Amino acid sequence: MRVLRLARAHRGAVAVLALLVLSACVLVAGLPRTMQAAFDGALRQSLAAAPAYQRDVAVELRSSGPESDLREPAQFASYGEQYRDLVPEPLSGLLGGAGHASAKTYDTPVNGSGGRTYLNLGWLSDGERRVEWAEGRAPGSVGTTRWQGQTVPLYEVGVSAEARDMMGLKVGDLKILGESDFAAVKVVGVFRARDAGDDYWSHNGEILHVTRLQPPGSLDYEHYTTALIADAGLARLSGADRNLSYRWVLPVDAARTAARQVDELDAAVTEFERVLKVRPGLVSGTVVSTGLPGLLDGFRAALATAQTVMFLVLGGLLVVAVGVILLAVRLLVDRMDRALSLTRARGGSLRQVAGTGAVLVAAVVGPAAAAGYALSYLFPGPVPPVVHAGPVAVAVAAVAFAAARIAVAHRAPLHERREDVVAARPSARRITLELLVVGLALAGAYLLRTRGTAAGGLDPFLLVVPLALTLAAALITIRCYPYPLRLLVRAAAGGRTAVAFLGLTRAARTGSSGMLPVLILLPALGVSVFASVISGSVASTQRLASWQAVGAPVKITSDRELTAGEVERVRQVPGVARVVPVQLADVQVGHTAERAEVIAVDLAGWRELVAGAPVSLPAPPAAGSGIPALVSHELRGRGTFEIGWQSRLTITTRDVVTAMPGFFTEGKFIVLPFDVNPRPVVNALLVSGAADRAALARAVPDARVETQAATLAAIQADPMTGTVSATLLVVTVALAGYALVAVLITLVIGAADRARALSLLRTLGLSDRQARRLTVLEILPMVLITALVGLGLGLGLPAALGPGIDLSAYAGGLAVGGYDLDLTTPAALAAGLAVVAVLGAYAHAAISRRRDVSAVLRVGDLS
Amino acid sequence: MNPTLSELEAEAGREKAAFGGDAHIVCDNLVRIYKTEGVEVVALQGLDLVVEKGELLAIVGASGSGKSTLLNVLSGLDVPTAGVARVAGMDLLAMTAKDRLRYRREVVGFIWQQTARNLLPYLTGRENVELPMVLAGRRRGERSAELLDLMGVSHCAGRKPPEMSGGEQQRVAIAVALANAPQLILADEPTGELDSETSEEVFGALRRANRELGVTVVVVTHDPLVSEQVDRTIGIRDGRTSSETLRREGAEGQIVAEEYAVLDRVGRLQLPRDFTNALDMERRVRLELESDHIGVWPVREEPADER
Repeated sequence: MRVLRLARAHRGAVAVLALLVLSACVLVAGLPRTMQAAFDGALRQSLAAAPAYQRDVAVELRSSGPESDLREPAQFASYGEQYRDLVPEPLSGLLGGAGHASAKTYDTPVNGSGGRTYLNLGWLSDGERRVEWAEGRAPGSVGTTRWQGQTVPLYEVGVSAEARDMMGLKVGDLKILGESDFAAVKVVGVFRARDAGDDYWSHNGEILHVTRLQPPGSLDYEHYTTALIADAGLARLSGADRNLSYRWVLPVDAARTAARQVDELDAAVTEFERVLKVRPGLVSGTVVSTGLPGLLDGFRAALATAQTVMFLVLGGLLVVAVGVILLAVRLLVDRMDRALSLTRARGGSLRQVAGTGAVLVAAVVGPAAAAGYALSYLFPGPVPPVVHAGPVAVAVAAVAFAAARIAVAHRAPLHERREDVVAARPSARRITLELLVVGLALAGAYLLRTRGTAAGGLDPFLLVVPLALTLAAALITIRCYPYPLRLLVRAAAGGRTAVAFLGLTRAARTGSSGMLPVLILLPALGVSVFASVISGSVASTQRLASWQAVGAPVKITSDRELTAGEVERVRQVPGVARVVPVQLADVQVGHTAERAEVIAVDLAGWRELVAGAPVSLPAPPAAGSGIPALVSHELRGRGTFEIGWQSRLTITTRDVVTAMPGFFTEGKFIVLPFDVNPRPVVNALLVSGAADRAALARAVPDARVETQAATLAAIQADPMTGTVSATLLVVTVALAGYALVAVLITLVIGAADRARALSLLRTLGLSDRQARRLTVLEILPMVLITALVGLGLGLGLPAALGPGIDLSAYAGGLAVGGYDLDLTTPAALAAGLAVVAVLGAYAHAAISRRRDVSAVLRVGDLS
Repeated sequence: MNPTLSELEAEAGREKAAFGGDAHIVCDNLVRIYKTEGVEVVALQGLDLVVEKGELLAIVGASGSGKSTLLNVLSGLDVPTAGVARVAGMDLLAMTAKDRLRYRREVVGFIWQQTARNLLPYLTGRENVELPMVLAGRRRGERSAELLDLMGVSHCAGRKPPEMSGGEQQRVAIAVALANAPQLILADEPTGELDSETSEEVFGALRRANRELGVTVVVVTHDPLVSEQVDRTIGIRDGRTSSETLRREGAEGQIVAEEYAVLDRVGRLQLPRDFTNALDMERRVRLELESDHIGVWPVREEPADER
C-alpha cells in the first residue's frame, strides 16, 4: 500500500518508466516474431519454388530379380506405409498429401533403333487418375506374341501426346523392346496429363515428356520416353529381364516448414537414410532420394546472414532500450531519494529500503513488461524463445538496477556529498578496466577480420564484437570528452560573453553520471547508422542486380524473328523513347561441334540506353580489319576465328568481356556489331522510356517483355528482403526515439541542480534568453561529440564486420560489396539526433523558466 | 621514588574512572574529518561533551562550527574519525552496521530543521508516526495516537504534511521521533523556519517530551527563545565546546544565567573573543595563580626581540 502511494507520489517518472518498458517489450518480443515469420515465409517460398522431385523425399529400390519384384499395387501401398512410418521427426511432420509409388524400367531400347530410341515402361500407382486419354484407350491386359521364334510378352501401353508428336508413335504401333530379353509393346492410347502443372509430374516427367539428348561426338539425337502400363503390366514386369526401379514419393508440404527446423530437417534426412540401411526386414539397397538437404543448405546461407544482421540490430535495440529504461529507473530512484533517505535514517535497514525501491520498480515494470509481452502477440509469426526471454530480461535488468543503485546510495544512512567538487582523478582500477575493454574490443575486431565467421548458423562472436566496439567507443568518448572542452572553456573565458563560458564550464564539469546518455546515444546512433548503411547498400545492390538481369529499362525477347512491322509497333508504343534491336543466336565455332552464343547489337546505342544506370557495358570495339568481336573468357586467346552463322564469318577478337548485362554472365559468348549479317534477324529489342509493360506486350504478343522496374520489384518483394528492410527502418526510428528520450531524461535528472544554478545566475542578472542558451550549451558538446563518434562507429561497423555479413541473398544473388559510403542518410540521422536533442534542451529550458526564482532557491536550500 | 616495573604494570591495568562516568552522552576528544575529493575539512576538533540522562540541553554556535556534525554523530548517521562517543552505554565508534541500525531504531530519535524533510509528504500524520514502528517491526497499537495527542496535534492524524502548518509539521515530527520510545531526541534547529509563536509551541512540545517521558533532549539552535529556556546551553566554536551557560532559579524565582568557559581535560581553555579583543590580548598572555582563581593578564611590554 505504501509502495502504491510512493508510486502515486512520483507518477510522472513511473509513467515514463512504464511506457518505456512497454514499448521496449513490444519491440523486443514482437520484432523477432515478424522476423521469424519472414524467415519461415522465405523458406516456404524457396521450397515451393523448387521442383517437387528435389523437395520431396523419395525412396528408391532397384529390383534385381524375381525375389525382389513387386507385382501387386497392394504391395506398393504397404511398402509406402512402412517407409512413411520410418520417417523421423521433424521430417515426418512435414509430409503432406498421399504420395504415390511408381515402377519404371530404364534404358529400355527399342529394338532396331540403333540405340537411339528408348521406350521405357512405367506404372504409376494412381496413373488412371492423373491422365486423360486423348486417343485410343487406357492400356489393359498383357498378352503374348511371337518374335524371332520366341514367345514374348505383349504389353499394352499408352504414350504421351509429346511422344506421339516427337517420336512418331501412334495408336496401333507395335514395337519390340530389348536387345536380348525381348518384349513387345502395343500403343493403345495417347494420353494427356489432367494437370500438367501439378508437382506430381515433376516426379514423372519422363512419362509426360520426351527427353532429347545429343551424345558427345554425335550429331544425332537420342530420344527417351516412358510409356504407361496398367496394373496387369506391372504383374509381368520383373527386374530379371529389365532395368527396373521402384520409387515411393513422400511429398513434403512446403507450407509446414519452419526456418528454425532447418538443422533438424537435415539431420532427419540423414537419419532416414541410416534407418533404411540398417532396419531389418527392408530390402537391402533401399535408398533415399531427395534434394531437400541441398535446398536447405542454400536457404541456410541466406538465413544465417539475415539472422546475423537482425540479431545485431535487435541486440543494439535491446541494449539501447535497456539503457534508456535504466536511465528512467535512475530518474525514479533519484526522485524517491528523499523518502528513502528518511526511511533509512528513521531505522530502515538497507534491505527494507532497497526492497521498497525494488518492489516499486517491479510493480511498475512487471505489468508493463507483461502488457508489452501480451501486445507482442498481435505481431504475426511463430514464437522463438527470445520472445519470452526479452521482456523478462528487460524487467529483471530494471529491478536489479533499482535495487543495486538504492543499495549503493543508501549503504551509509547519511549520504551528504559535496556536489561542488568534481572528481578530478579517475581511479586506477577504472582506467585499467576501461583499457581492458578497449583492448578486447580491438583484438576482437581484428580476430573477426582475420578469421572470418563460422560457416552457417549464428556466430556469437560476430554479435559480441560490435557491442564491445560500441562500449569501447563510448568509454573513450566519456574519458576524452572533457579535454577538448576545457580548451574551449579556456578560449571562452577570454571572450566577452559570460554565457558561453558558463555553459561550457558546466558541460566540462559534468560528472561521469552526466555522461551516461553517451552510453545510450552512441549505440543508438551507431546501430541506426549501421542499419542505414546496410539497407542503403542492399538497396543499391538490388538495383544493380535488376539492371544486370534485364540489361535495359525494358528487354523484349522472342523465340522467333521479330518482323520490321513488330519493331515499328514497339517504337510507336506511347512512352517508348528508343529501341535498340538485338540479334541473338547460337552459332558454330570454327568447323567443330563447339557452339557459342552470339549477340549482335549496336553497343553505342545500348550504352546510351543505360546511361546513368549502375551497369557498365563494354565500349564498342574499334573498327579495323575483320569483324571486331568481344568474347567471353572461355573464348579468349583465339585471335581471329570463324563462326558459322547464316554464312561463314571471320571475326577478330578485340577484347575480352566478363558479362553482358541482361544476356550472358558466363559461358561462351561473342559480341558482334549489329550489321554483321547482310540480313539481320532481330529477335530481341532493348527499349528505353516509360512505356507501359502491357502495351509493349500487346505490340509483340508472343514475346517476353521484362522490365527493370518489375525485376527490381520482384527482388524487393522477397519476404526476407522486405522484412530486413522493414525491421531496419523500425529499429532506426525506435533508436532515434530512444535517443531523444535519453537526452530528455538526462535533462530532467539534472533539472533541480540546473534550476538552482540558473536561478542563482538570474538573480545576478541572467536573462531568460541567456538561460536557455546556457542550457543548450551545456548539453550541446556532449550531443555533438556523441553524434560524430556514433556516425563514425556506424560507418565503421560494416567495414569491421565485413567478412561476417554476406547480404547477397537480399540483393538478387549479387554480393553486396564495398559498402558505398552514401553519407546522406547517416549524416542526416546524426544531424537529426543533434537537432532533436538541442531542441529538447531548449524546450526544457523554456519550461523551467516559468518557475519562480525565489521558490527554486528556497527549494535549493532544502536538499 | 621511582616506581618499579610491576607497579607500573599494575597501575596500567587498574580500572580508571572513565571520562564522564556513566553519563547518558559522553563525547571525549571527538574528531570528525571530512575528506571529499582531496579536500579535508576538520568539522570536530577534539570536542568534549557530557550530558546526563533526562537533561534538556541546547547547543549553540556559529554556522560551520560543527553543531550539525555533532548531531549527526550522536544520531548514528555519521561515524566520527577518532575519539570517544558513547550514548546510553553504546560506543558509537565500535558499532557494526547492525548495531547502528538497532541504535537508530531504539535509542535515538531526531528532528531536522526543514519541516518538509522530517515527514514523508504522501503519508498522513499517523502513518508517518507509525513508519519507524513498522520499520522496526513493532506492533503499532495506539501509540501513534497517544504521541500525537501528547504533542497536541491529534487533529493532524489524518492529514498529510502539505495540509499542516509548519508548527504542526514539526510537532508531528517530534511524535515521529518519539515513536519507538527512544532515550534520546536530537533536534537540529527545530524552530529555524518558524515564527516565534509557533516556535514556542514546538519547543513546548519538546519540553513536554522531556518532562513527561523522561527523554534526554539535545537541541541545536540559533533561537534565543529556545536557548534561554533550557537548563544548560553549550557553545561550540571551531569544532570544540567553548562555553557553557547554566540557568537556575534564583531565590526570588527569577532565572539566573551564568556563563562559564569550558576547561577541557588537558587544561585548554577558550577565552571569549570579545574579552581578548577588549584587552588586546594576542599570541600570549600572562597567567598568575592566586589563592582562589587564575589571573589572565595581557603582555605588558613588548620584548625587544619581537618583530
